[in-house]
Amino acid sequence: MLMTFKALSALLSYPTPELKEATGEIAEALQSDGLLSAAQVETFKPLLADLGAADVYALQEQYVSLFDRSRTLSLNLFEHVHGESRDRGSAMVDLIETYRAAGFEPATSELPDHLPVLLEFLAHQPLQDARDILADAAHILEALRVRLTRRESDYAAVFGALVQLSAQSADAEALAILLAAEESDPEDLEALDAVWEESEVTFGPDPNAGCPQVRDMLAQMDDPAPKHLNRSA
Amino acid sequence: MSHLLDRLNFFQSKQLETFSDGHGQVTRENRDWEDTYRNRWRHDKIVRSTHGVNCTGSCSWKIYVKSGIVTWETQQTDYPRTRPGMPNHEPRGCARGASYSWYLYSANRVKNPLVRGRLMKAWRRMRESMSPAAAWKALQEDPVLRASYVQTRGKGGFVRATWDEATEIIAAANAYTAKTYGPDRVFGFSPIPAMSMVSYAAGSRYLSLLGGVCMSFYDWYCDLPPASPQTWGEQTDVPESADWYNSGFLLLWGSNVPQTRTPDAHFYTEARYRGTKSAVICPDYSEAAKFGDIWLAPKQGTDSALAMAMGHVILREFHLDRQAEYFEDYCRKYTDMPMLVRLEEKDGKLVPGRFVRADDFSDKLGEKNNPEWKTVAFDAKSKDIVAPNGSVGFRWGEQGEWNLEERAGETTTDLKLSLILDDDHDEVVGVDFPYFGGAASSNFVKCEHPDVLTRDLPVKRLKLADGEAMVATVFDLFCANYGLDRGLGGEWAAKSYDDDMPYTPAWAEKITGVSRDKIITVAREFALNAEKTQGKSMVILGAGINHWYHMDMTYRGIINMLVMCGCVGQSGGGWSHYVGQEKLRPQTGWQPLAFALDWSRPPRHMNSTSAWYAHTDQWRYETVNVREILSPTAPEGDWDASLIDYNIRAERMGWLPSAPQFKTNPLEVAKAAKKAGKEIAPYVAEQLKSGELQMSCEDPDAPENWPRNLFIWRSNLLGSSGKGHEYFLKHLLGTDNGVLGHDLREEAGVTCKEAVWHDEAPRGKLDLLVTIDFRMSTTCVYSDIVLPTASWYEKDDLNTSDMHPFIHPLQAAVNPAYESKSDWEIFKAIAKKFSEVAPEILGTETDVVALPILHDTPGEIAQDHVKDWKKGECDLIPGKTAPNFIAVERDYPNLYKKFTSIGPLLDKLGNGGKGITWNTEIEVQHLRDLNGVVLDEGVSQGMAKLDTAIDACEMILMLAPETNGEVAVRAWEQLGKATGREHAHLARPKEDEKIRFHDIAAQPRKIISSPTWSGIESEHVCYNAGYTNVHELIPWRTLTGRQQLYQDHLWMRAFGEGFCLYRPPVDLKTITKEVNTDEQNGTPHVVLNFITPHQKWGIHSTYSDNLHMLTLNRGGPVVWISEIDAKTAGIVDNDWIELYNTNGALTARAVVSQRLKQGTTYMYHAQEKIVNTPGSERTGRRGGIHNSVTRAVLKPTHMIGGYAQLSYGFNYYGTVGSNRDEFVVVRKMNKVDWLDQPAKTKEAAE
Repeated sequence: MLMTFKALSALLSYPTPELKEATGEIAEALQSDGLLSAAQVETFKPLLADLGAADVYALQEQYVSLFDRSRTLSLNLFEHVHGESRDRGSAMVDLIETYRAAGFEPATSELPDHLPVLLEFLAHQPLQDARDILADAAHILEALRVRLTRRESDYAAVFGALVQLSAQSADAEALAILLAAEESDPEDLEALDAVWEESEVTFGPDPNAGCPQVRDMLAQMDDPAPKHLNRSA
Repeated sequence: MSHLLDRLNFFQSKQLETFSDGHGQVTRENRDWEDTYRNRWRHDKIVRSTHGVNCTGSCSWKIYVKSGIVTWETQQTDYPRTRPGMPNHEPRGCARGASYSWYLYSANRVKNPLVRGRLMKAWRRMRESMSPAAAWKALQEDPVLRASYVQTRGKGGFVRATWDEATEIIAAANAYTAKTYGPDRVFGFSPIPAMSMVSYAAGSRYLSLLGGVCMSFYDWYCDLPPASPQTWGEQTDVPESADWYNSGFLLLWGSNVPQTRTPDAHFYTEARYRGTKSAVICPDYSEAAKFGDIWLAPKQGTDSALAMAMGHVILREFHLDRQAEYFEDYCRKYTDMPMLVRLEEKDGKLVPGRFVRADDFSDKLGEKNNPEWKTVAFDAKSKDIVAPNGSVGFRWGEQGEWNLEERAGETTTDLKLSLILDDDHDEVVGVDFPYFGGAASSNFVKCEHPDVLTRDLPVKRLKLADGEAMVATVFDLFCANYGLDRGLGGEWAAKSYDDDMPYTPAWAEKITGVSRDKIITVAREFALNAEKTQGKSMVILGAGINHWYHMDMTYRGIINMLVMCGCVGQSGGGWSHYVGQEKLRPQTGWQPLAFALDWSRPPRHMNSTSAWYAHTDQWRYETVNVREILSPTAPEGDWDASLIDYNIRAERMGWLPSAPQFKTNPLEVAKAAKKAGKEIAPYVAEQLKSGELQMSCEDPDAPENWPRNLFIWRSNLLGSSGKGHEYFLKHLLGTDNGVLGHDLREEAGVTCKEAVWHDEAPRGKLDLLVTIDFRMSTTCVYSDIVLPTASWYEKDDLNTSDMHPFIHPLQAAVNPAYESKSDWEIFKAIAKKFSEVAPEILGTETDVVALPILHDTPGEIAQDHVKDWKKGECDLIPGKTAPNFIAVERDYPNLYKKFTSIGPLLDKLGNGGKGITWNTEIEVQHLRDLNGVVLDEGVSQGMAKLDTAIDACEMILMLAPETNGEVAVRAWEQLGKATGREHAHLARPKEDEKIRFHDIAAQPRKIISSPTWSGIESEHVCYNAGYTNVHELIPWRTLTGRQQLYQDHLWMRAFGEGFCLYRPPVDLKTITKEVNTDEQNGTPHVVLNFITPHQKWGIHSTYSDNLHMLTLNRGGPVVWISEIDAKTAGIVDNDWIELYNTNGALTARAVVSQRLKQGTTYMYHAQEKIVNTPGSERTGRRGGIHNSVTRAVLKPTHMIGGYAQLSYGFNYYGTVGSNRDEFVVVRKMNKVDWLDQPAKTKEAAE
C-alpha cells in the first residue's frame, strides 16, 4: 500500500478526535515510502501541528467552511471539471466502474469523485497508475493549492504534495482557465467588470480571417487529443 | 496568400470515395470511438419523477440511472391523451426544470447534518453529565451560552453531526419547550403541500402529534386572492390550462404565462391558432405582451381603475342599454344581484348596509332554522319577498334546500334583479358611496373628486320587525356604484364614456394612462364574445396584480366583469388565477395524514402573515394608519386603532387563529382546570374574562409568548418569501441586520390600544432554528441545525397541480446522496428520538387548543353582528363569540408509535372536507390489508402501518375521493343530502377505480370528480371552476349561496369595500428624509416603485443559485430599471447599484431596459444573497435580498371571521403578505465591497 496516499486521504478527511490522535502516525506515514521530498514533508508541519493541538470544533468549523461550503474548494473533483453539467453523472459512473474493476466497492456516503475516496483507492494501486490518474487532475490540484495558499490555509500543503506526486506539472492552460475564472480581487472594479463583461457576438465568419475551411483543417491537425480525467484505463 | 503550406503535399487523404456531390465521404478508419457514445447513453433503469418545486408544473420526467447515479433526464411524453379536437398536454417541462438534475451532485448540496459549532460544543459538554432534556434546559437557562450561538446566526461556524446527535438536540429542545412554555411554541413552516405532499405531511404530522403549530403559506406568499373566498367561499379553484384552448377571448392580466407557466404556454399559442382573441394587460413589455392582439400598459398598481372602467362599459352596453338575455338569466340565478340590501342612515345620509335576512321580518318569512342567515329577494311570480334556497342558513341544521334551484322552499320563484321599473320601487333616493381616488400618494394620479359620491337609485320601503326600512337590490346598488346613469339623474351618474367621473373610461384613462378607446374595445369584445359563446371569455390573472395591498379591488373588479358576462362555471371561461400551487387534488385524503387527524383533532394551524407580523416585530414599525384606509362612510365604531390591535381583536373574537395561544402553558391550563374540577371550555372562558389568563397575541414581545423552536422545510423562508427580511434577522433571529428605520415610539410616539408595548424590543426570540433542505440556502445559512434532505429524484412522494388534472409521483430513482434522508424519514427519526427523550419530563398530557371559527363548519354562522366580549358587548361563548377551547390528549411517550400507524379516529369519526363528511371504515380496512398491520404491542397494535413514504402515499390515495372512485360516489351522495339533488352520477362511471402508487409510477393518472372541488373530470369538458355550481346547482359556499359581489360585513363596509372600488396603492412612507441620504447629500438617485415578479432564470421561486441559470443572466442579483430613470440617477447598464428605504438595503447589478415603465423597478423574486452579492454601503452588511426593503402590512378586512365565507380557513382566508406598494431609493454604488475577509480570530473564538 502506498502509505503516502493513504495519509493524504486521512488528512483531507473531516477532522475528528480520532484524526487528531493519529497526527503522529500520519507524519510518519508521509515519510515512510519516500514518495515526498524532505522539503515537501516539512510543509506539513503547520497542518499537523494544528490538527494535533487546536480545538476539534474550531478544526471542524474550518473544514466545513472550506470544503463543504466553498464551491471553489470542493473536494469533489468533478465539481471543478463538470460543475452542474450533464456530464457529471456519467463521469462518476466511469469512476465507480474503475473502482469496481480494481476490486473495490465504494462503501461510503461520499460520491466517488471525493478526493479522500480517490486517494484511498490510489493507495492500493501500483505507483505508476496512481501517478497517472492523479496527473489527470493535476491542474485541479494545483488550483486548489493556489486557492488555499491565498486563504493562508495549512491545507495547501496537502495539495502541494499531491501536485508533486502527480509527477507532472499541471496542464498550464487548463490551470490558467480555472484560476482566472474565480476569485478576482473584489477591490478592482475594472477587473471585476472584465470578468462580468459579455463577449461581443459576431455572426458568420470573420471577414479578416482568411479561408475558414483551411483554418479549421489546420486547427484540427494542431490540437492534441483533449484530456479527460475520467479515462477508465 | 499561397496555399502551398496549407495543403497536403506528400499525403493523400484517407478519403476513398465521396457521395452526394461531395457532401458525404466513405472512410476506412476504426469506428471504436463510437462506443463512447453508445456507452454514454447506456443506462440501468429509467424512473419517472418530477421537480417538486412550487411552479405548478408537475411535469413528467424520465430519470436515467446507471450504477446508482443519475446520468441524465428527458421529458416523458406518455400523458393520457386528451379528447378529440383538443391538443395534448405534452411536452411538459422547461429548461429550468431540466437544469435541475445535475444539481443533485452540486457542491451546494448539504451533505451531512450540520450544527452550529458553538451550540454543538456546549451541548456535548452538557451531555457529558446530563440527560438530553436537562442539557437543553441548562443551555437555555444560561444567557451567555444561548447568546453565543444565537448571535452568530448567518455567520458560518457549522460542524457536522450524526443523525443521532442532531435529532437528539431537536427532540430535547421540543420536549423542553412543550414542558416549559407549551407545545404551541414549536412552529413549523413548510409551503405548498401539492408539490410533495408526503414530505409536507411528514413534518406537519409530527407537529400535530406534538401540539406544535403548522404555519400557513398561501396567504403569507400573497398568492391567496382573498377576493376568491369573499366571492365564492372557495380558496382558489381554477380551470386547467387545457381549457384556455376552449376560450374565445383570453385576457391576460398581470400574468406572464410564457415566462412563469412555461409548460402550459403551448395551450395559449394553440388557442390563438384556433382563432381566440387575446388581450394582454401589464405595465411592462413582458414576454406575454407579445402574444396579445392588443396590449394595454396601465400604470402599475392602478389595475382596479381599469377593471372598474371595463365593468362600466359592460354594464352600460349589455345590462342597461340592452339586456343580453344570457347575462341577465345568469346573474339572476347565480349571483347575489337580486338580493335585498337595507339602506342605513348615517349623518342624515343613506349608505348600503346589511343584507336583509328572513330574521328581520316579524314572521321570519316562516323560516325557523337560521333565519338570521337567510337572505331575501323580490319574487316576480308571487310579487312578494322570499328567502330563496341556497343561502348559508339552509346549509346547516337542515337538509335538502341548500341548492340553486329557482325555489324558495316549495314555491318556484323568478327573482327580480332590479327595481328600476316605476311599479317596482317606492321612490328614488340618494345613496352614498366612498371614493378613494383622491387618497393617492404623490407617485400616482390624484383626481379631484370628493371622497363621498351620492348616487340615486330605486328603493322600496319594507315593513320589518324593527320598523320600516328602505331596501335596494344588489344589482341597483352595483350599477350606481359603477357611476352609471339610468335615467334617474343625480350628480355622479355618467351619461357618456367621456365624462370625467368615476368610473368612466375617460376617468380611467387619466389614472391608468391607457387610452379610453382601448379600454372600451377590450371590454366590449370581451363581453360580446361571452354573449355569443355563453361565457367563453377568460381572464388569466396573476401575482402582478395580486401582490398589492388593495389586491381585492383589482380581483373583484375582474370577477365582476366575468360574473356580469356569465363566464364563471363555463368551460373556456372564468377566472384563472395561477399563483402558487394551491391545488392539492387529493386534499381530503391527505389531511388525516398531514395533521394526524387519525389520532387527535383539531390540529393547531396559524396564519403566517399575522404570526410573522407579530413575532418579527414588524408591527412595531407600522407606517399605515387606519385613518388612511378607513371609509368616509364608515358606520360609527371604535375604528381608531393600529393594525396589530385589529389583529388582536380578530383573534379574541375567534376570527383568526393564535400562536402561541395563551401566555400560560396550555398543558398547565388543562391541569389547573382539572384541579378546579371544571370542563376546559368554560374554565378557559372564565379565566379569560377575569383576566387571569391572557391571550398571547396581546403581548407578542413577552418572553412567554415567543415562538421558541422553528422548523423550516421545503422552503427558503429567509431567502425568498420572508417579507421584512431584516426584521426577521433583527428580532426573531437576533443577529446582524440592516433595519434602517425606527419603531413607532421612536418615530412618532405612537401607542397601541390592545398590544402591550415594550420599550426594548426583544432580539433573538428563537431558541432553535432547524432547516431541512438539500441545498445550502440563505435560510440554512441562518439556521442552528441544518438537516440534509433527499432531493426530488431521491424520494417517493405525490405531486399535483391546478394546471392539469393528473396526479404524479416523485420516485426514488437513486438513494439519497451523501448522508441525506427523505423528509418522511427525517421526521420519523425526530419522532422516534422525541419518544425516547420526552418521557423524562412529559407523559400523557392534556393540551388546550384554541380553535378559531372555521369556514365550512356548522360554526361558521357564528356572528351576524360584530360584538367584542372584552368590551362587554357580549358574553364570551367559546366557539361563538370567541375561539373554541378544546382539550386534546398528547401521549408524548407514544408519539413515534402514533406517527407510524393510522390511528382510530378515521373509523370513529369518518373523513371529509369542505363541510361534507363521510364514513371511511372500508378504506381504513383496505389500508390494513395493503400496508399491513402493526404487530408490536402498544397503542398502535393492530392499526394499519405507516412506515414508509409509499405507505403514506397509499393512505392519501386510498382515502381521497379524487383517487378512489368508491369514496367519490359516497362523498357525492353525502353532498346530495344537503342539496336535495342527485350528484353521484358524476363519479359513478369510475366507482371501481382505485389509483395506487404503482399506477401513477406507470403513467400519470387523471383524477376522479369529487365534491370538494367545483369542477369535474370528464371526457366532455375540461376542468373548470364553478362548473358544478352552475350545472349541478350546488350553491357557492357564501352567505347568499351565490357568487357574492356585495360584502355586507361591518368591517367591509367600514373600510369601504362593500362594493368593488378603485383604491390607489397605500403610502408606506418608507423613504423618510432621514433615510434618504442621497437627497441630503445631493447625490444622483431616483425613487422607484419596487416590484418583485417571478423570474426567467431560476426554478420558479425556489432558488437562483443554479450555475446554468446564473450563466444565462449576469451571474448574480439584478434589478431592472427604465432608461429614463437610469439616466436620472446616472446609472448605466451593469452598474452596481444599491436600493434602500427604512426597511433595509440591497445591492445588485442594474439592467437598464426599455421594457420597464418609468417609475418602477423590478427585482426578480428570490435572488439569494449567497450568490455574488457584495456588501451594502448603507448597512455595512451583505447585500440583502429582495425582501430586505419590504415589510408586511396587514389589512383589517382580511381578519374578518365567524361570518360564512369570511370565516377562517388554513391558507383559505386571512391576512396576506402584500409587498408591491413599496418604494425605494435607487442609486449607483461608490465602492463595491465583497466583505470576503474571514471573521477576525478573536471574534471567532468568542
